[in-house]
Amino acid sequence: MAVTKKTKLSREEELLLQDFSRNVSTKSSALFYGNALIVSAIPIWLFWRIHQMDLWQSAFLFVIFSLVSTYLVAYAYKNVKFVLKHYIAQKREEGITKEMMSKLSEDKEMTKKEKDERVLWKKNEVADYEATTFSIFYNNALYLVLLIVFSFYILKNMNPSVYPFTVYQLLNSIITNSQSWTISAQK
Amino acid sequence: MRLIVAAVILTLASLSAGQQEDPEARLLISKNVLNNFLVEGKDLTVEYKIFNVGGGPALDVHLKDSSFPAADFDVVRGNLDVTWERIGPGANVTHAVILQPTKYGYFNFTSAEVSYHSKEDKKEQRFGYTSAPGEGGIVNRKEFDRRFSPHVLDWLVFAVMTLPSLGIPCLLWYSSSRRFAVPPKKHN
Repeated sequence: MAVTKKTKLSREEELLLQDFSRNVSTKSSALFYGNALIVSAIPIWLFWRIHQMDLWQSAFLFVIFSLVSTYLVAYAYKNVKFVLKHYIAQKREEGITKEMMSKLSEDKEMTKKEKDERVLWKKNEVADYEATTFSIFYNNALYLVLLIVFSFYILKNMNPSVYPFTVYQLLNSIITNSQSWTISAQK
Repeated sequence: MRLIVAAVILTLASLSAGQQEDPEARLLISKNVLNNFLVEGKDLTVEYKIFNVGGGPALDVHLKDSSFPAADFDVVRGNLDVTWERIGPGANVTHAVILQPTKYGYFNFTSAEVSYHSKEDKKEQRFGYTSAPGEGGIVNRKEFDRRFSPHVLDWLVFAVMTLPSLGIPCLLWYSSSRRFAVPPKKHN
């Protein structure tokens, strides 16, 4: 009986845990996967038009590695978002409290606890939103820059018939992930 | 004394040679490919130069180049079968043809045929060949584009495609961060 009491968490606690966990909501996850798919599919244009790879011949590789890349980029979004969320929450605290207090000051009936909860909720919402948008922007930019550097400078002399684009597409994703891991490790 | 004799003999010899010289046309013809890169589906310029180094005019000069098979080359401008009525002594003529190779790989550029009458009486027809540029490699169009084309339009399209995925999240983040950012406190 005592065990069940300990493991049972209140709704507030669950919400709190959710705020600090790495798990993202379904809506956020869909947004991440959608964005990751777009940014992973864009390089196909470069491979087709500029590296002159045959679209139909390499279609299988394009599809497989775009999907792998989508998964890895989405994973990178999640990692960067997790790191950024707390950092942004700390930075925006003052601004959000100020704005919320000026909004709620007219409401005399609201208790201080309730006001604090509202501020906390707003802070969480803003931090989540900013971390999501910045994570998408940061990872997209890093992915595209690395892609261009790899495909046009480092691996430019590779034979197109055995073009290891898959390798560097994969590599990009891994690097993007490792970047976010380093950030989280530094924090 | 010996010198004088030698000079007299030489003068006589040259005089007799001058008298024997027939006003006969002699044509020297060169054929050159002007392009540095021979690319499949891109223009290739072949230039023919005809010099008449003989003493008389060349008549009915007929240049025919059958070294470009229709299966391998398309003629864009000019003719591979040309005739000039008369090329005067000491004169030269230049003729150019623009072709497009339809296949890539090595191609042996051989000589074209020339026929002309070397004398005014048109009794005897002479035949000759141009110089041959030799074997040349025609580059694959895809390979050429991959190496040399600037792909300006392709890069522009790429920029347009990447813009929303970078611009939209950046703008959303920026607008939110501006709204809640606290100005740095001034230290006195």
